[in-house]
Amino acid sequence: MNNNNPSSKKRIIDVDIHESVTYKDLFKYLENPYRRYIEDANWIQEKHMPYTQPSVAGVNRADAVVPDGRPAGSDLPFMQEQLLDDIGHEYGILTGALDPSPSSMHGWYEMATALASAYNDWQIENWLEKDERLYGSVHINAEDRDGAIREIERVGSHPKMVQILLPIDDKMWGDPYYHPIYEAAQKHDLMIGMHHNEPPVYFGKWPRYFIEWHSLLPTSHMMQVTNMIFNGVFEKFPNLKLMMIEGGFTFVPHLMWKLDQQYNDLRHEVPWIKRKPSEIMKEHVRFCTQPSEELNKKDFLSVIDQMGSDEMICFATDYPHWDFDSPHRSLPSLDPDLKKKIFSENARAFYPKLK
Amino acid sequence: MKQQTVCHVNDMQPGELRETELGRISVVVCKTPDGEFYAFTNKCIHQGGPLSKGKLCGAPQSDNPGEYTFCQDGEILRCPWHGREFNVKDDGRMLANPKHKLPSFPVKIEDDYVIVYK
Repeated sequence: MNNNNPSSKKRIIDVDIHESVTYKDLFKYLENPYRRYIEDANWIQEKHMPYTQPSVAGVNRADAVVPDGRPAGSDLPFMQEQLLDDIGHEYGILTGALDPSPSSMHGWYEMATALASAYNDWQIENWLEKDERLYGSVHINAEDRDGAIREIERVGSHPKMVQILLPIDDKMWGDPYYHPIYEAAQKHDLMIGMHHNEPPVYFGKWPRYFIEWHSLLPTSHMMQVTNMIFNGVFEKFPNLKLMMIEGGFTFVPHLMWKLDQQYNDLRHEVPWIKRKPSEIMKEHVRFCTQPSEELNKKDFLSVIDQMGSDEMICFATDYPHWDFDSPHRSLPSLDPDLKKKIFSENARAFYPKLK
Repeated sequence: MKQQTVCHVNDMQPGELRETELGRISVVVCKTPDGEFYAFTNKCIHQGGPLSKGKLCGAPQSDNPGEYTFCQDGEILRCPWHGREFNVKDDGRMLANPKHKLPSFPVKIEDDYVIVYK
């Protein structure tokens, strides 16, 4: 087992690291007939992202392919060498590469639920219990709500599971359908992590070019946050928290202003909201730096100032994806206190199970 | 002290709004269902909408998402432009943000006539 590198260059809690699995890796954890469907019939989940061209190695950093040719993110020692030990991570939170959402499963809920369970067991045994620095995410098939809750009950109390990755499907996240999942999340001190944003909108269409999809990632985040706030999710579940992963943060001041103004005009439609939406966001929602626009110090501080809080953003690399943000180069030079908050303390204060 | 006689108390129905002038100031007079009168500036503090063209209505209230209770019927002054709600029974405070309120004017009933003062 690896321990924290005492010669850490930076004290970092990285809230978005993608470990990667092959079906073969999952066989050990997958019951029949699901395993046999894959082994005997060569079943594969529909690959629903229609883009492979963003970089010289698809959506991954070309230098993150494991030297023996296995996919980027699939080997713990190589990830330790290239990321955890090299940069000197204090903690890293795994956000996976599997999306068990039925938008890609064509309604085969049983298979999706079984895959999510196998994935969680694989993640715990091969990553969380092999490196003290790594924490994980509970994968669920939210379309099978009872199955999803059983899975949260089964692995949610694992001390290194810190959040539930909720797939984005054809219902927005404020919908009462999801409320029992939020209840289970609260019970196990798990936050809701938003990362499975493929496709980027709940009505399921893709733009023609990758550059459009990647530019518009924040819009899917804005939709879900808006929907959760006005549907009263945080009034009904006062301990629930939401981490918005891989949407960036520069849109946040706009969203705070917009929702506050809308609330002033249209309160009568959502009378269960008693506070300004921006106050709900400050208390319940955090955003990631990645993918970070190139901001100089003045611009970066201006965004923080407009948020009215320096506690709302956490650092993420998104390793091993092509748009990885280097902890050394992606952010401008910041004052030590602010740097400490963004690189580690904001995440530490926000994840109930991360100490 | 400026004053303006608005109307006879029976000229306005409960839930009715009426515009009046107090010198050069436009004022909105409200009669609530309990027969009380209130007067406020006739310009919304948000963007200046003419409140006398709005409505004295009620306010949905709730403690649980998806559930509604309709309260204070006839006591909430709602702007005709952006819909901001002001509680005439609470000194004209805005429901969404009670830190803000409409400037108000005293109203007196003398010999069954409604009079606003400044």
